[in-house]
Amino acid sequence: MSSRTLMSALRGAFLISALAAVLFPLTWVTLASFKTPQQLNDPSLIVFQPSLINWSYVFEAGILQAAGRSAFVAGITVLISAIVGSAAAYVISTYKAGGSATRFGILAAQVLPPAVLVFPFLTLAYVLRVNDTLIPLIFAHLSFVLPVVTWFLIGFFDSVPRSLEEQARVDGFTRFKAFLLVVLPQVYPGLGAAVIFGFTLSWNDMFYGLILTPSKSAILPVAIAGFNTFRGVELGSMSAAILVAVVPVVIASFFIQKRLVQGISGGAVKY
Amino acid sequence: MGTVGLKSVQKSFGDTTIVEQLDLDFPDGSFTVLVGPSGCGKSTTLRMIAGLESVSGGTITINGKDVTHLEPRDRNIAMVFQNYALYPHLTVLENIAFPLRATKIPREAARQRAQEIADSLGLGHLTHRKPKELSGGQQQRVAIGRAIIREPAVFLFDEPLSNLDAKLRVETRSELLAIQRRLGVTSIYVTHDQEEAMTLSDRMVVMREGKIAQVGTPSEVYSSPTNVFVATFVGSPKMNILPGVLEDSTFTIESGHSWSLPHAHAGSVFVGLRPEDLLLVPDDRGHAVIEQIELLGPRAVVALRLSGVKLVSVVEAAELASLAVGKAVTVTFRPESTHLFDGDTEERVPTQVLQREG
Repeated sequence: MSSRTLMSALRGAFLISALAAVLFPLTWVTLASFKTPQQLNDPSLIVFQPSLINWSYVFEAGILQAAGRSAFVAGITVLISAIVGSAAAYVISTYKAGGSATRFGILAAQVLPPAVLVFPFLTLAYVLRVNDTLIPLIFAHLSFVLPVVTWFLIGFFDSVPRSLEEQARVDGFTRFKAFLLVVLPQVYPGLGAAVIFGFTLSWNDMFYGLILTPSKSAILPVAIAGFNTFRGVELGSMSAAILVAVVPVVIASFFIQKRLVQGISGGAVKY
Repeated sequence: MGTVGLKSVQKSFGDTTIVEQLDLDFPDGSFTVLVGPSGCGKSTTLRMIAGLESVSGGTITINGKDVTHLEPRDRNIAMVFQNYALYPHLTVLENIAFPLRATKIPREAARQRAQEIADSLGLGHLTHRKPKELSGGQQQRVAIGRAIIREPAVFLFDEPLSNLDAKLRVETRSELLAIQRRLGVTSIYVTHDQEEAMTLSDRMVVMREGKIAQVGTPSEVYSSPTNVFVATFVGSPKMNILPGVLEDSTFTIESGHSWSLPHAHAGSVFVGLRPEDLLLVPDDRGHAVIEQIELLGPRAVVALRLSGVKLVSVVEAAELASLAVGKAVTVTFRPESTHLFDGDTEERVPTQVLQREG
C-alpha cells in the first residue's frame, strides 16, 4: 500500500469517526423523542413503533412559545448588533478607530465569565421593574453578540478598497450615504453570515436566560432544562425539545459555513 | 466650466511636510498635468483639491468660491481613481448614473442620460454587465462616463491609466484628450509618467519634494528645463548631464576632455545634452567607447562610456552601419543644443549661447 492511499484511508477513518461522534447523540436524541417512556428504558432499541406522545406533551408544555421568545430575543439582539456592529467595524477597519488594539480588544469582554456580568444585569432589571421579561436578556445577549459580530465584520471591511467611499463622496454623497449605498453592499455576504452566527450565539445561550428569565418568560434552553424535574429527567420530552432547538442551528450553519471560516480568519479566505 | 486656484496651500503630517506653499492657477478649460516622482506630493495636492485630504494651510478656490473646508460633495468635481473605484454591486449603467442619485434628477431621466453617455463611450452593449465582467479598458471608460455625467466644474484624474497595458494606455490617452477637448472641462491630471504628461497637457507642473520645480507648456519644459532635476526627469531617454568647468568658452570635464562652448558664463557647471543632440563620429582614436546598442525600429539608443561618465545617444538606424559595440567614437555636439546649469545650485544659467563668429 503506498503512503498516499494510506493517508487517504487514515483521513477517511478520521472523518468517519468525527461524523459518528456528531451523529450518534443526534440520532439517539431523535430516536428517543419518538419512544414511549417504557421503550426509553431500553437504550439499545432501534426498531420500534414510533409514538408522538413526547411531541404532543412538549407542544402542550409551550415549547413553541419558548422557541418564539428565543427567536424574538435573538432577532432583536442580532438586529441591533448588525446596525451598530457594521458601523463600528467599518470605522475600526478604515479609520483605525481606537488604534490597532481595538481590533482584538473588542473581544476582551468575552474573557469575563458571564457570572461576572449576570448579577449587575439582574439587579438592574429588578430596579427597573423589568425582571423576568425579555428586555434585560436582550441587553445581556448584546454584551457578547455585538462584539463578536463587530469583530467578525472587520475582516470583511478590510477587503473593501478605501477609494470606493471616496469615490462616492466625490460623486455627491455624505460619508454616511457613501457607507450605506456603496461600502455596506460589498460586505452583505459577510453581514449575512455575521447575523446568522450572532443569532445562533443568542439562541444557544442558557446561562443568562436561566437567571434573567427563569419562569414565565423562559426562553428555549431554559424550557428544555425544565424537563429535568424533581421526579427525574423526562428524557423523551427533553429529546423532542432539544430537536426543536438544534435543527434550525444545524440548517443555518450549513448555509453559512464558508463565510463563517472567512469571517473568523479575518476575511483572508477569498470566495 | 470652472477655474481652480491654489493659494499657498500646504500639507503636513506632524513634522513632515508633504506639500509646501503651493501657488497655482488652473484656467477654465485647461488640461494641467501634475507630474513628478513618487512622494513629490502630486497626489496629495489632487486629493486636497478633491476635499479628500484636509489642508494644513492656504486656500483652495473653485470658480472663485473658497472651498478649502467644504466636503467633496459640495465642490462640484468629478474624479477618476487609479483603480477606477467602480461600484462592484452595480451594473455599468447604474455606475454611470450613480452620481445623479445625489441630485433631484428623476431616475428615468438619469438612466436615459447614462445610456447616452454609455453609447458615446462605446459601452452601449455592456450596460447590464457588472464591472468585474469588463476588461480594464472598458472599466476605465465606465469611470470616465461616471465622471462626465454630472457635468462638473473640474475633472480630477489620479493616475487613471497606470493600470492599463502599454498599448491600451496610449489609445486611452488620446481618447481621454479628445473627450476633454470636446467637453472643455478644466482638468487636473496626476501622473508619474513624464511621457503621459507631455502628450496630454496644455501645461505641465513638475513637482519635487512638495514644491513646484517648473510650470510651463510641455515644449517649454522640454526645451528649457529650469534645473538639472527637471532636465533629467522630462524626456526619454533622459538628458545626459556632464559635470565640468566652463572657462574662456571652453568646457572641460574632469578627465581633461574639452569642447568649445561659446558662452559668457564661467565656473563650475553642468552641461545637459539631449540624447538626440549628442553626435557620434566614428574615430579609432575617439575618447568614448560604445557599450550597448538598442535598436528601436527607425532609431537606436547607443550607450557610451566617456572616461567614466556614462552617456546615452539616440541615432538614426541608418547611421548604425558605422557603429558597433566596443568601437571608439568622438562625441561632439552643437553648442546651441546644450543646456547649461550652475555647478552649485543646479539651476539653469539663463544667458544665451553666444553666436558663433563667421
